[in-house]
Amino acid sequence: MEIEIISFGQITEFINNQKIEVDGITDTDAFKQYLEDRFPALKGLKYKLALNKNIVQQNTEITNQATIAIMPPFSGG
Amino acid sequence: MSAERYNRQIILKGFGEEAQQKLLRAKVLVIGAGGLGCPALQYLAAAGIGHIGIVDDDTISLSNLHRQILFTTADIGKLKAEVAGKRLQEMNPQIGIIRHPIRLQKNNILDILSRYDYILDGTDNFESRYLVNDACSLLNKPLIFAAVSSFEGQLAVFNAPDHSTLAPGTNYRDLFPEAPDKGEIPNCAENGVIGVLPGILGTMAAAETIKLITKIGQPLTNKILNYNLLTQEQYIINISHGNGYTLPKTVDDFLNMDYQDTSEAPQGYIEIDASELVKLQQLESTILIDVRERHEVPVLDKQIYTQVPMSEFAAFLNKDFYQKQVVLICQHGIRSVAAAEAMQEKYGDAKKIYSLKGGIVKWRDYFLKS
Repeated sequence: MEIEIISFGQITEFINNQKIEVDGITDTDAFKQYLEDRFPALKGLKYKLALNKNIVQQNTEITNQATIAIMPPFSGG
Repeated sequence: MSAERYNRQIILKGFGEEAQQKLLRAKVLVIGAGGLGCPALQYLAAAGIGHIGIVDDDTISLSNLHRQILFTTADIGKLKAEVAGKRLQEMNPQIGIIRHPIRLQKNNILDILSRYDYILDGTDNFESRYLVNDACSLLNKPLIFAAVSSFEGQLAVFNAPDHSTLAPGTNYRDLFPEAPDKGEIPNCAENGVIGVLPGILGTMAAAETIKLITKIGQPLTNKILNYNLLTQEQYIINISHGNGYTLPKTVDDFLNMDYQDTSEAPQGYIEIDASELVKLQQLESTILIDVRERHEVPVLDKQIYTQVPMSEFAAFLNKDFYQKQVVLICQHGIRSVAAAEAMQEKYGDAKKIYSLKGGIVKWRDYFLKS
């Protein structure tokens, strides 16, 4: 299954925008676990996922060619 | 009201005299007269918002001027709320400008926000962001949110029902239920910001405010826009209601929340000024630690200041050292507080922990001559 990853803010420093090929990942909980295993720097950070431009508030099914955005909070002004 | 002043927007199709009257009747509070607040204030005042409040307790410094474009070199040292208020009044004498040169805290924010219809958050720290979000939620005030980091920005409208579906508004905690830990997300003072970025986001926030008031277009209710200056790309994400967070439902709940107001005494460690640094430095059992990254300037004398960048601080905490007093220093005294908290947690009363308030920038003269 192909998933497009889009990242924002300081998360772009270790996760580039990219298309990845993954097997066995069918929902957002599993995808989050996959991300944190592959990019351990993500573990200590506050961030939110958006699946196909919708904020993920609970475990949600992922289908082929989904886009998942990884967004950290900004406070600067 | 002089119709001529606003003629070019009144003649716009879909705007007209009616929308102009709505602006005139609106009361908008802009929190923070900084990089976001300055351009927002300028456009809101020019557009003819009838009552504009400005909250900022800070004074103007030289390093503000590349992005805080209401201020001039001659204004350095003056209160932002006062200077911004005076300048906006000169720009548009037909509107009311109310200056609030104070810091918003739990005990004053509800009183001030309740006097306005729309709140624009242009603050620069998470404590204020959550304080403002929760106060707006409690008072049911629409909140226009803008924030920047490096070359990117975020823009959203919270607490306003959706224009078409009338679905109840979401708020900042639907995105990020809890504030990040201190030091987790770098701020502008530490990370830098290009002046035009908050200019763009602040202007977009003013546009959202005008859209909400005049009911034109589709404001970013229940949406967050991510903006990238380097690519000019925008990415809009739909926000739905989250769970697992607590919004204060009553004033008492609100007053019991912990926003880490700077007025509340810090736990354990002590924030000091340069004169106290000098005294501590003379004690043999004091270690001075510069927690800035290695590329940052000015470079301090390595004989006097041990360099332990924040990125290496966790490893340093595992090492033993004999000194009993620890003075932590960084550029603006923000990261050094995070380092002080971490040290305090590890050592408790075993060592005395200090953080230089205002950092090297504030005490530049002292660091340059030593």
